[in-house]
Amino acid sequence: MPEQATDRLVRMLGILTYVERHGDTPFAELAEHFGVSVAQVRGDINALWVASEPGDSWAPIDFSPELYDEDIASLTLNDALTQVRLSPREAVAVVGALSTMGAAGALPEAGAQVLAKLREALEEPVTVVGEDHIGDEIREPLLEAIRRYRRVELEYVDALDRRSTRVVDPHRLVVIDGHAYLECFCRRAQDYRVLRLDRIATATVLEGAIEHPPTDTAGFSLTPAFRATVVVGRAGRFAIEDMPGVAIEDADDAVVATFDVVDPAWAAGRLLSVAPHLRSVEPRRLADALRRQATAVLDVQR
Amino acid sequence: MAGVGKSQRLLNLIIGLSSTRHRLTRDQIRDTIEGYDPLPYGASDEDRAKAEASFERMFERDKKELRELGVPIETVEDPVHGDEIGYRIRPAEAAMPALDLTAAELAVVSIAADYWRGAVLGGDAHQAVMKLASSAEHGPRVELPFAALPAVSSEAFGVLVEAVADRQTVRFEYSSVSSGAGTRTVDPWRVVLRAGVAYVIGFDRDREAPRTFRVQRIGGAVRTVGAPGAFTVPADIPLGALAESEDLHEARVALRPESGHALRRRGDAAGVDDGWELYDVTYAHGDALVAEVLALAGGARIVAPKALADAVVKAASAALEVESA
Repeated sequence: MPEQATDRLVRMLGILTYVERHGDTPFAELAEHFGVSVAQVRGDINALWVASEPGDSWAPIDFSPELYDEDIASLTLNDALTQVRLSPREAVAVVGALSTMGAAGALPEAGAQVLAKLREALEEPVTVVGEDHIGDEIREPLLEAIRRYRRVELEYVDALDRRSTRVVDPHRLVVIDGHAYLECFCRRAQDYRVLRLDRIATATVLEGAIEHPPTDTAGFSLTPAFRATVVVGRAGRFAIEDMPGVAIEDADDAVVATFDVVDPAWAAGRLLSVAPHLRSVEPRRLADALRRQATAVLDVQR
Repeated sequence: MAGVGKSQRLLNLIIGLSSTRHRLTRDQIRDTIEGYDPLPYGASDEDRAKAEASFERMFERDKKELRELGVPIETVEDPVHGDEIGYRIRPAEAAMPALDLTAAELAVVSIAADYWRGAVLGGDAHQAVMKLASSAEHGPRVELPFAALPAVSSEAFGVLVEAVADRQTVRFEYSSVSSGAGTRTVDPWRVVLRAGVAYVIGFDRDREAPRTFRVQRIGGAVRTVGAPGAFTVPADIPLGALAESEDLHEARVALRPESGHALRRRGDAAGVDDGWELYDVTYAHGDALVAEVLALAGGARIVAPKALADAVVKAASAALEVESA
């Protein structure tokens, strides 16, 4: 795909601003910093050089020709230009993503610093609320283990309230849908796993080194067992909006939702909370799981 | 002036509009900025009209793209020159503030940009990284054991972000929990993200009150109506249900051994009762606690308050009545 004119414009202004702030800069450094080839940098500098003011041939930007021949950008005149500020969409994208990582509990220290600088400059373009409250006693051992390539022992409570002790090879912290997860290789499962940080009860760094390298293909690789269709009154809509792979259609005073079910017990647990608004649940397997759980609840709560 | 590329033309346009003392009219832009074709001498009326139209299209597109990039192009009217409109850029308003980012800080920004990859703000996030790189130090590549995966978002979110910045009224189809599907006309005040979910808070013109909208519940496109700068955003925006509730209550729950681990972690142990372990937990929203107890499928019950215990029974009883073919 050919490069967009605005992408190139932003990089040209970037090169200009960078050289203005840092002084004479080799093309190679500019190429590395902006992630393009040296030939592209040279082209950008040529374009900046011939930029002109209206009406006459007055060039507001000038470079040293001698240093240009040595592949060094040396600005001798810049009367006109600097990088342009972030657009509203850009500001929301950057501040929103950094703040979401922070609220999830997976923002590196440098991230908190850059967020503070951006907020001061941009007057808070987006509000981010809700925090997962991940304690340092969980995050710090995980980061230490990742840094030192050590295994870590976790006490973990899964989505179905099952508590287990696992030894994992930790790789990195990743934010998915606004929550922080540990990407790791789980020795018990003998497979790659993503474990939610707010379900980790304790984390202890072990002395053994990790044996399994990170993988790019792991993640949420859970295979759905089947697809479910649920009709729920409007008031119960919120409970099915976040289901995996959900598609929702409005139908009078109700909505029809279809979604993927990995574990019927987990899906039934979610549906129970809006049971008074449920009209129908398909397939039978999910409806049975719902009834079974409702009966178990009524056995203890009455 | 053939052969001048588009990025070059945009660059010249920024220089021209930034360096003008007062303003540049469309005619001045066409005739003096390199990259646009001045009207040919001695051309026929038809050719003139054609050239005119082609310039108009080109300039409108350039102006739109620069504005989307964050360059504030002002429209300047001048009573002396009648209805001819002029344009200018105030350099101080267009410039990126000096942020002086470290190499590590720039690395985190790149990671954060991945959060939008392939989603509605993906291109904007990438553009922002390039802009921020202009005022970042160059250093060895910083590897950080952090990542952000793309969030689900729709084009509607992007339009709302711009409408908030432009203070422009919007109209969209919305499926509300309380009143069903319908058209809403809203002055959008602020976008809010919560656990990866996008909301917009604004003034609902028809209901004449502030409302919170979940962007995911918007069906189809968001259209802007009327001119920018149509309303004032209040200093205190009510977060409504999105606010962290300060109104906390206490419940007592009974847990089976080895169950309700999340409740145990945030509750206080309160003794045992006939094989059940008791915990006192604080909660902001009763519905959330009821849902949590229901999901434990008999591993927990609510001892007090009675209203929540009744809600558990009501939901479980209703579940037994649900139809399935």
